Amino acid sequence: MAVCAAIIGKDNSPKYFTCLNPDEELGFQYKVLSSLDVIEEKLNSGNKSVSDTRELYLGMLYSLEKHKIYGYVSNTKIKFIIVIDSTNTSLRDNEIRSMFRKLHSIYADNVCNPFYIPDEPITSKSFDKSVKHIISGI
Amino acid sequence: MNGLDSTDADSTDRRPIITCAGELEVFSALEDSLLQALPQEPCEWRRSLGRPVRNVHIGASFIPFSPSGLPKESQWDLIRQPLFHIYWTECTDIDVYKTTVKDDIESWMKEIVTRDLSDWLIVVVENYDGKRANKLLPRTTVLDKIRADFAPKQGDRCISVINPGRLETRSADSWRGLVGRVRHLVLVAYAKAVVKLEDHVRHQREKRNELGWNFMDYFSLQEELAQVLEMLGLYDEALVQYDELDALFSQFVVNGHVGELAVWLSQFQKSLERWHGLKLGSGKLRKEPSLLELRAYLFSKQAHMLLLINKVWEMAGRCLPFLHICMKELLLLDINTPAGATSCWLFLACMEVLQTCDRYNQADQVEAYSANTAALWAYASQKLRELGELCGLMPGQSPTSEQLHLVVGLSAGMGDCPGRSGESSPTDKLKKALSSQEAFNKNYLELAELAMGTYKHIGHLRSARLIGLEVASFYMLLGETQKAAAFLGDAFRTFELDGWQELAAHTQIKLAECYRKAGDTRKFISACVAVSVAAEIDNLIRWSYFDEMRKCLETLDKSLVVPFEDVIKIVNVSVKNNNGVVMQDNIIEVQLVVESNFPREVVCTNIFMTLEPETKEHKKSKEKAVNSDRTIIVKDLKSSELLLQRLHMQRHLDYKEDKQISSASVICKNASFKRKDRTISPQPCNFEACLEVTKLPSVLTPGSNAIKLTKKATEIGRYYLGHVAINVGKLSLLSNSFNVKLSVEVKREEPSLRLDKGEDALLFGLEQVLQLSLTIGSYAVPEDTTIKLTSSRGMTIQHIPEEPLLSSLEIPIKNTDPYNVTNIPLRVFAEPSSSEHQVTLICPWSSKPVPVMLSFNSLLTVSWKLHTVQHRKFIHITVIGQTDQKFELSSSRLDIRDQVKAVPLVVADAVHQVIHSGVNISYVWEILITSSVESPPLKAQFFVDYSAVVDSEDSSLDTNTRTFSYNFDITNYQTLYIVETNVEPTKGNEFCRVGALCNLNLCIKPASHMLDSADVENALMYEVLAEPTVWAVCGRTAGVVSFETDMEPQTIVLDVMPLNNGFLPLPLVRLSKYIPADSSGSDKPRKSTETHPRLEPFSPGQVYNISKGQQVHVIVGTITEANVL
Repeated sequence: MAVCAAIIGKDNSPKYFTCLNPDEELGFQYKVLSSLDVIEEKLNSGNKSVSDTRELYLGMLYSLEKHKIYGYVSNTKIKFIIVIDSTNTSLRDNEIRSMFRKLHSIYADNVCNPFYIPDEPITSKSFDKSVKHIISGI
Repeated sequence: MNGLDSTDADSTDRRPIITCAGELEVFSALEDSLLQALPQEPCEWRRSLGRPVRNVHIGASFIPFSPSGLPKESQWDLIRQPLFHIYWTECTDIDVYKTTVKDDIESWMKEIVTRDLSDWLIVVVENYDGKRANKLLPRTTVLDKIRADFAPKQGDRCISVINPGRLETRSADSWRGLVGRVRHLVLVAYAKAVVKLEDHVRHQREKRNELGWNFMDYFSLQEELAQVLEMLGLYDEALVQYDELDALFSQFVVNGHVGELAVWLSQFQKSLERWHGLKLGSGKLRKEPSLLELRAYLFSKQAHMLLLINKVWEMAGRCLPFLHICMKELLLLDINTPAGATSCWLFLACMEVLQTCDRYNQADQVEAYSANTAALWAYASQKLRELGELCGLMPGQSPTSEQLHLVVGLSAGMGDCPGRSGESSPTDKLKKALSSQEAFNKNYLELAELAMGTYKHIGHLRSARLIGLEVASFYMLLGETQKAAAFLGDAFRTFELDGWQELAAHTQIKLAECYRKAGDTRKFISACVAVSVAAEIDNLIRWSYFDEMRKCLETLDKSLVVPFEDVIKIVNVSVKNNNGVVMQDNIIEVQLVVESNFPREVVCTNIFMTLEPETKEHKKSKEKAVNSDRTIIVKDLKSSELLLQRLHMQRHLDYKEDKQISSASVICKNASFKRKDRTISPQPCNFEACLEVTKLPSVLTPGSNAIKLTKKATEIGRYYLGHVAINVGKLSLLSNSFNVKLSVEVKREEPSLRLDKGEDALLFGLEQVLQLSLTIGSYAVPEDTTIKLTSSRGMTIQHIPEEPLLSSLEIPIKNTDPYNVTNIPLRVFAEPSSSEHQVTLICPWSSKPVPVMLSFNSLLTVSWKLHTVQHRKFIHITVIGQTDQKFELSSSRLDIRDQVKAVPLVVADAVHQVIHSGVNISYVWEILITSSVESPPLKAQFFVDYSAVVDSEDSSLDTNTRTFSYNFDITNYQTLYIVETNVEPTKGNEFCRVGALCNLNLCIKPASHMLDSADVENALMYEVLAEPTVWAVCGRTAGVVSFETDMEPQTIVLDVMPLNNGFLPLPLVRLSKYIPADSSGSDKPRKSTETHPRLEPFSPGQVYNISKGQQVHVIVGTITEANVL
């Protein structure tokens, strides 16, 4: 179960942000923002070999005392970020991976919606519901 | 209490133990050199299970042989036992050997063999003395004997060595051989022991879930393996062992959290008493360690291994996750920790690692250093701040006695750790930092700055900004608002740049508070504006800042400019005037739709929109930003996204030398990416000319507002809408200038003045009316404006009826209102001096006088003719009407001066004649001259009075009677010669006949006055110009006659032949003046070139031909004559 999920556009501005506890949202925003540094670093390092250019999952970006932040970047440089509680020992790398894949998939669905203007913040309620569903791991 | 309990120093010496038996004094002489020589060179270590062959260095420690200390083959901890046995002997004498040494070796061997030990060596030390060289017989040496006795199949177990005490080459070789042998055999033995140990460790690990298993026991076991590997120089493998331990422990803790806690783990659940830091490099594990101690020990070991394999940065990189794991485990295991203790420990850990890293930091490794340490710096500063908050060390606080106690407790828990020489240890630093507020401030800021600097260095700007926020809040507490504002501003810009509006808005609130504290009202208002319009922020907060903004605005003394940005959004701007064209003095109207983001209504004291006069740049950029509509909408106002712009693709063809295409491609020239700068301060703009709101005060409600802006267009020209400024009291909200320019054109229509003639052509000598029409333009002209008209010479004008005509006029304009048309009839009269006349109009609004060309036609044309009868002269004047207008002519007269009289030949009833186009009237006068006297040239003047004949309806026409005059000169008019010709039949003939020769008698009679005349040419030429179909001139046709000497008439007879019958006109004779070629008698100097005689014609009237019109009757010729011919 993740505590926070965010979708960041290619211009690094947030397109969607949610967390389990809305009161902590601001704090998570700071955390997610600073994780962009790491994503940028990873994307710019350019030492990805040909084989893993299709690997979108970036793994853990960095860890904090209480949280771990994971990243995933689509080919169009849309960043997906998931924050999990570091005391949460039940989540394995594979589960996080699959969470990202699901997020990516519903994001792609959302972009397909003709009423959604790409690059605008996502306000769709059904999208929000789906994301919450995914991060709560039910 | 200090440090860990000291444990047995030998426990970490994992060198293989070698026992020595036999003649120990022999060995003791060699021991030191052997100890040194063994680990000097590497030795290949081959291992089972496919593990790679490694080169290892093996050392040894020697103990004397004792049977009781020997291990059994089956023991797992062989590694701690003597595992190689060497028997030393110096015996060279076979007899001695047989008697004593052999038995000794046998008993030694027995001890070994009974314990199933196979790793032994017998060394025979030889003192080389040269004697033996002679004894060449084999099987006689002690070595051979020993070999035969003890190791018949294992020759390598016995070795002789020449005492290396004597420095000889042979001894060195044999010594090397010994060392190599020992090294190899020891390694073999040791490897066996290691395998044993590994098996044991594996075995033990499998039992980890059994009851009674203790991690600490296992820990020491696997650590032993690690130490063995470390001893062998296999640091990476040693690290693996530690990592395994690390992972195992973590797993236990995690499992314990999820399921049942292992029994042994409970010993770690004691509350924390010591937080000594990591003690890198020197740590020893105390018995019954706390969780942190165990972890620290493990990490210090890992760090040690990493440092040994030169992976400093990996060590640094591992530190933070390690610390986080520790914290997590403290939490999972529910370990009670005193307040601040973990912070202390974490701070110390960070600082220790950082200090270690600093030692390895070199110029070429700053990048790696920064990448791995930035987060540590940040963590350390964060922990220090936590401690500061806990202990009341933050600025503005003073520690309570409780907090002071806390500091003492924490310091005690840290223990003592003297730093290396010259530098203070992290423990010392922390203690100092906690000792006083000043030291704390200094330390914290230093750490935070370092963290920010390192982050920036590796490009983690956002992380740096977040620390900046922390630092800003710290500075706020310190009261250094300026520094705080700088950090907050940086953070704000970064958030804005990334589009994290909510974070930016919250930073804006902090900025507002910062400015409030600093007492900077202007900046405070700006920040308040920004906060109050931020949709991300709670409404209550927005309202409160909005109210504060309004309150503070009242105290402002100077106006404050705030850019629009997010405050006011321009939705739509449209020029309401038709096509954007406004006549001067009319109203320019622009509709502005803005969206106000203020949480409440604002009362605007004024709203402006600047009008920029057109400049060169506008014209230049016209093509780019043409907006045919008169509206800008939101889309136009957005600055275009560079990344979304269309790329400029071009076709690119490469040609070979022979002009064949070598490649075709598409290229995209890299678009220059400009940095997007969001904080462009609006350019200073000119509010001299601007549109304004008419209804004031105007209220901007939250959301969309339509505002009508107007301005009276005073100056003409093209204007562009520039900025919008909304003034709320002293607050002036200013927009950026529009990307897409909307233009308004103010035009002016100048007054115009026209001079029109009527349908008919203008005539000389008649007063006619022209229409002067004045149209006032788009603006009123001054009341006293006059138009000045000047006519050319010979022309007069007048606009007031009944007033005399003048050559120049000034006409005052009576009606000066815009678009008023005044028509002024202008009477004009032109004398026929020249056909082109002009009127020059001088208007005050135009600097240049305007000439109007007028073309006049003549009323009448006159021609005259001279008629001659002998010596009498008649003047015939014909007057031809030129216009459709009818005129009545009267009292015609010819006036000749010079006392010559003219007598009219008057026709009765010719007093009033009407003339118009196509009608001509002739008048004839006879000039009375005396034929005998030479007449002078005459100047004649013809007059005739005319007046227009008025049709009943056209009364405006001028009916005055005027005189028309015509001047002409009459010269050379007197008759000089009278020519008479007649044709007569030749003598004997009665009639002139066709085809018969006739005589043409030509008689030229000069006039009588010719005698007196001096300049009359006296020679003339006559020419017969006969009609060739009628007459044939036979013989001479021309000739010259001279009247030089006398004035008698001369008669010339010429032969002509009529070619037709009937009444034939006489052949024409032409007289011309004959000027001889070289007439020296002439007065006029002639040019020498004129060598030919010339003919000059006479003026009409000078030669009078009497016979003109005479005819001669010719009859048909006779047949006889025809026959004659």
